[in-house]
Amino acid sequence: MKIGRLSFLWLIAGAALVSGCSSLGVKPWQRDVLAREEMRLDANPLDGAIDDHMYFSKEASSGGRSFAGGGCGCN
Amino acid sequence: MQLKSKAPPAKAANTRRRLMAASCALLSAGAARSQEPSAASAHSGLLEDWSVDSALAYYHENGRVTAVEPVVDVSKVFADGQSLNLNATFDALSGASPNGALPSHSPQTFTSPSGKAGHIYTIAPGQLPADPHYSDARFAFGGNWTKPLTRVDQLSLGGKFSVEDDFVSATVNASIAHDFNDKNTTLSFGLFNEFDSLHPVGNTPVPGSDFTSLVREGGKTKDGVGALLGITQVMTRNWLSEFNLSVDRFKGYMNDPYKITSIIDSAGNTTGYEYESRPDQRLRKSAYWENRVAWTSQVSTALSLRYMSDDWAVRSDTAQLHLRWSLSNRERYIEPTFRWYRQTAANFYTPFILDTAKQSTGFESADSRLSAFHALTYGVKYAQKLPGFGGRAESEFSVRAEYYQETFNEHVPVPAGLQGLDLYPSLKAILVQFGWRF
Repeated sequence: MKIGRLSFLWLIAGAALVSGCSSLGVKPWQRDVLAREEMRLDANPLDGAIDDHMYFSKEASSGGRSFAGGGCGCN
Repeated sequence: MQLKSKAPPAKAANTRRRLMAASCALLSAGAARSQEPSAASAHSGLLEDWSVDSALAYYHENGRVTAVEPVVDVSKVFADGQSLNLNATFDALSGASPNGALPSHSPQTFTSPSGKAGHIYTIAPGQLPADPHYSDARFAFGGNWTKPLTRVDQLSLGGKFSVEDDFVSATVNASIAHDFNDKNTTLSFGLFNEFDSLHPVGNTPVPGSDFTSLVREGGKTKDGVGALLGITQVMTRNWLSEFNLSVDRFKGYMNDPYKITSIIDSAGNTTGYEYESRPDQRLRKSAYWENRVAWTSQVSTALSLRYMSDDWAVRSDTAQLHLRWSLSNRERYIEPTFRWYRQTAANFYTPFILDTAKQSTGFESADSRLSAFHALTYGVKYAQKLPGFGGRAESEFSVRAEYYQETFNEHVPVPAGLQGLDLYPSLKAILVQFGWRF
């Protein structure tokens, strides 16, 4: 049976969800490093938005980090 | 700089510092995953208790389009945990936009979509045909409201609206997030719905119609729906990981109404042009994985990988790395960036149509954005903390620059008449951005 690359990623995600998460993580008093600005997933939202707009207008892909909708007639 | 305290005895001061550190750690527990701005201050002036992030970007392509884009984003966290984010963007674009036709050894003359007498342009032999009268302006604004439902559940609702000279778009989205495993794991699910309305300059060409026939239709629409399933996981004390799977489907008028394709004979001579014709729907799926790691107190990285595929046969891979190097006790930082991207061509992409093989009912597009290419981005950002003003503790000024280059991969065999022409000119662009947040 042929399994596509995306299907394989779905399988990995599912396996990680059901098995791995409970053994990972830190205690609340160990979040000092995670609280730094650069550890936020949206540390520089405007940089990301401007880059996404540039790539959306020049490439055939968009989204992934967030919703893929364009809101722009440039592509 | 170290401050010497005169007042409290050493033991009491140490105890207080420990309690403060513990409180800060507890209060910042959710910050790693947080999509929220910092908490509001107690001041009440205009925007005094809002976080403001602003940027001015300048984008320029070699011999093509130039864009100027100011952006402002304001957000506030309310006492009950709700947060509101509002943003506005303006784009002003001008320059020359490739129309899709091939270069030729002979001069080529085109009429801009406006059809105005003064908008006829001639392309010199060997040059890439581009409409020099291209200009557009876009105004977009959006908002997002987030509300905690329980201690571990959060609802977000958002929308955005943008207007251009020939395009209007409205999007709504909703998502829900659930924390578990001591808030080390967050599972989120979201949906979006986008509605676009197109009113091309000079009306909408019929897909596949002859460029000179001027067969036109009225406005067109397209709409899209999509879903995103994400999991965010605190891996260790200095490693945060996010994995997203998304799918979206767009239906309606999917063409670029200004793109044409050259029709050539077996000798390579251009005999005409026709408007592109794309399928009227597109299904895309993507997987995205991001890892943020703090290697030392000064150095951290953010590495993201994305794989996307669609039913137009486009497959793409993207890898992006940000390396942040904090300096001067985190008063400033330098952040080099590198991005690598490649995509395969859509199954209806063709740089030209051989008139002997022309299929009036088939799909075709010579839009280089649907071709096979790879792209590299090199960038660097510098940010500097500055004294605050009013009631704010500090502000941050930043400047960044990026260089982007596309190189086309698959060159199809061409007739002798096209030999010696650069049919796949690479795209080179620079981006310079100034930012200020407070």
